[in-house]
Amino acid sequence: MQTDQEEFLRLIEENKRIIFKICNSYCYNKNDHDDLAQEIVCQLWKSCGKFDTEYKFSTWMYRIALNTAISFYRKEKKSAPTVPLTEHLLHVEDNDGGTGILEAKINSLHQFINELKALDRALMILYLEEKNYSEIAEILGITETNVATKISRIKEKLKQKFLTINY
Amino acid sequence: MEDMELKNIWKEYDRRIEESKILNMQSWALNIKTYEYLQTQKAKSGLNALSGFKKWMIFAGILFIAFLVLLIIKSLKFQNIYFIGSLSSIVIFNILAIIFYLRHIVLIHEIDNTESLVEVQEKIVKLQTSTLRITKILFLQTPFYSTFFWSRAMITGNPTAFFFIAVPVTLFFAALSIWLYRNINYHNAGKRWFRILFSSKEWTSIIKAVNFLKEIEEFKKEAV
Repeated sequence: MQTDQEEFLRLIEENKRIIFKICNSYCYNKNDHDDLAQEIVCQLWKSCGKFDTEYKFSTWMYRIALNTAISFYRKEKKSAPTVPLTEHLLHVEDNDGGTGILEAKINSLHQFINELKALDRALMILYLEEKNYSEIAEILGITETNVATKISRIKEKLKQKFLTINY
Repeated sequence: MEDMELKNIWKEYDRRIEESKILNMQSWALNIKTYEYLQTQKAKSGLNALSGFKKWMIFAGILFIAFLVLLIIKSLKFQNIYFIGSLSSIVIFNILAIIFYLRHIVLIHEIDNTESLVEVQEKIVKLQTSTLRITKILFLQTPFYSTFFWSRAMITGNPTAFFFIAVPVTLFFAALSIWLYRNINYHNAGKRWFRILFSSKEWTSIIKAVNFLKEIEEFKKEAV
């Protein structure tokens, strides 16, 4: 049991940035963010016994994390955020002169992703995490062709939105 | 903006999460010992709450059926045939509703987050909208509440009142309940009569679930 817990914590440690990013994409405030992160970890722990080695670990983890996040989002859905979602993590000082622009771009990307519908948002997160179309299709439960078409359309919208902003 | 630039922005975001050390401050990842406590907390919300509501409805339903069965047993005489017939019909509809609630509880426990997003979310939303199905079944029992006081003495003693008041009232309720049975569905969720029939809180959650179901359907469709 102790070994199971240690192994589980190691996997969580390795993947905590993904969990963090999913939470940031489906939550509008800090308290909800922490609640969702905890809920995802709980669901992952609870589902440990159901892990099928036939699938990749990341497929299993993304399914649980995104399903939990979407259910949480639907339950807790509130008005749009009044402060940038990344505010609490982008205060890190950087000597790079281009940081301001990059920071603004990260915030814009976040904002655009958060404007997408719940399932499109999941699709975009998986795309940006560089999952291949076959794995995205498996996680979402749609066909690869559908994944490709949807990604292409959403990317086009994102590009258009970026064009409207002067950095 | 090229595809790579989008991915690079995301990578930079990833790098900053790591760099900011914010994750080191996150106790959630390391606090597995709170798991059981959290499970208790979560039992009060989400699907567990839905399951709790359905369990409560089953309990209340069983009590109601037991009460009706007791009344039927106490009135087992031929002259009470309309009363017994009406109560028996009401019992049947309530048993049907309980069977549906039991089935829903089984389905809630079968929801498995390791399945694909579309499968899981579709199941959850369908469970939320299933309240409508049970409600419309329960509406079908309405006419029987207007027949339990019928009796042979009433029909032969005052046929005018029976045929011109009691029967039309029952027919009205029968027609109304059949109409409601046919029309209570998510396609009509936006209509005024539907909103009046269901309380605002129920209506809001049903509308949300219906809209999400449409979103899932749209998402599943092969884009052309």
